[in-house]
Amino acid sequence: MSTPTSDKGFPRNPGEASDFVGIVVDHSALKINQTGIVATVLVAFAGSALYQPLLVLIPLLAIVLLLGTFAPRLALFKQLYFKVLKPRGIVKPRPVQDRPEPHNFAQGLGGVFLAVASIFLIPLPVIGLALSLLVAVLAFVNLAFGYCLGCQIFFQLERRGVLKPS
Amino acid sequence: MSAQLWALAVVGIMVLAAAGLEALRARRARRRVLGSGPSDLARHLPMNREELRARDPYILYFTGEGCTVCRTHQDPALARLGDVRVDKVDAVAERGLADRFHVYMLPTTVVMAADGHALHVNYGYAPAPKLERQLAEARRTALTATA
Repeated sequence: MSTPTSDKGFPRNPGEASDFVGIVVDHSALKINQTGIVATVLVAFAGSALYQPLLVLIPLLAIVLLLGTFAPRLALFKQLYFKVLKPRGIVKPRPVQDRPEPHNFAQGLGGVFLAVASIFLIPLPVIGLALSLLVAVLAFVNLAFGYCLGCQIFFQLERRGVLKPS
Repeated sequence: MSAQLWALAVVGIMVLAAAGLEALRARRARRRVLGSGPSDLARHLPMNREELRARDPYILYFTGEGCTVCRTHQDPALARLGDVRVDKVDAVAERGLADRFHVYMLPTTVVMAADGHALHVNYGYAPAPKLERQLAEARRTALTATA
C-alpha cells in the first residue's frame, strides 16, 4: 500500500514503502488493514440483523478505504498499526520487498465496491449486503491465503498497458 | 428469509461460480500451452547451447514486481527445489513470452523439457512438493525418450 514519504524521500515509518529501489512494504500493516475490513463488514452484516443502524459502518468503511487509497495518512487501520500496535510490540513488523501500488489499487477497488454497496443498502439491502460481504470474503482470502484479487486485476491492467508499469 | 441470509446465499453462489470459472479458465489455458509445440525460448531468453542440450527439465517462472505471493510463497518454494534451473521472467516486461504461455495470473510456473516443450503449467502458487513431483515426472519422460 502506498505510504507517505517525507520530502527527503525517506519513509516516515520504517518498513513502509519508500521511493528507493528495493521498495519494502510492511505486510503486517496490510494484514491489519484486511483484518479491519473483515471485522467491520462482519459486525455490520451480522449486527444489522438485530440493530439496523449498524449498516452505517459500510459507508464509513468505504470512506476509510477510499481516503486511505488517496491519502495514506488517513488510512485508519494502517495508522492504528503504525501508531499503536507496532510501537507497543503487539504486532511485529513484516517488511517484504514489494510494490505498494497493487495493494493500494486493491484497497481502492474494495472502497469502490463498498461505496456502491452503500448506495444499494437502503433500496436493495440484499445487493448492498452481498457486495459488502464479497469485499470481506476477498479481504479474508488475502489475509488467510495471500491471494489478492485486486493485485491480479492490477497485473492484467498493467500487462494490457492500461496502467503504466512504474 | 432475512436480507442477510439472501446476501449470504448470493455471495456463496458468486464464490462457487468464480471458482468454477477460474478452474475452467486455467484448464483451457493449460491445454493450449501443453498442446502447442516446443517454444522458441531462445529468442526470448538468454540461453546457451549447452543449456538447451541439457537433459534436465527446468522451470520457467513468471513473476512481476507487484506479485506479493511470488515473494512470500513462490520464491521460497522454488528455493527449496535445490539444484534446479529456474528462469525468472517478468511477465509485464516479457509480454510476448507471457502471452505464449497464456499467463493470466502471477505467479505462473511452467515445467519445461530441455527441448522447449511445456510439460506442466501451474497458474497461481505452486508448492514445492507439487513442483518436485512434476520435475520427477519430467525427468522420467526424458529418460524414456532417451532410451
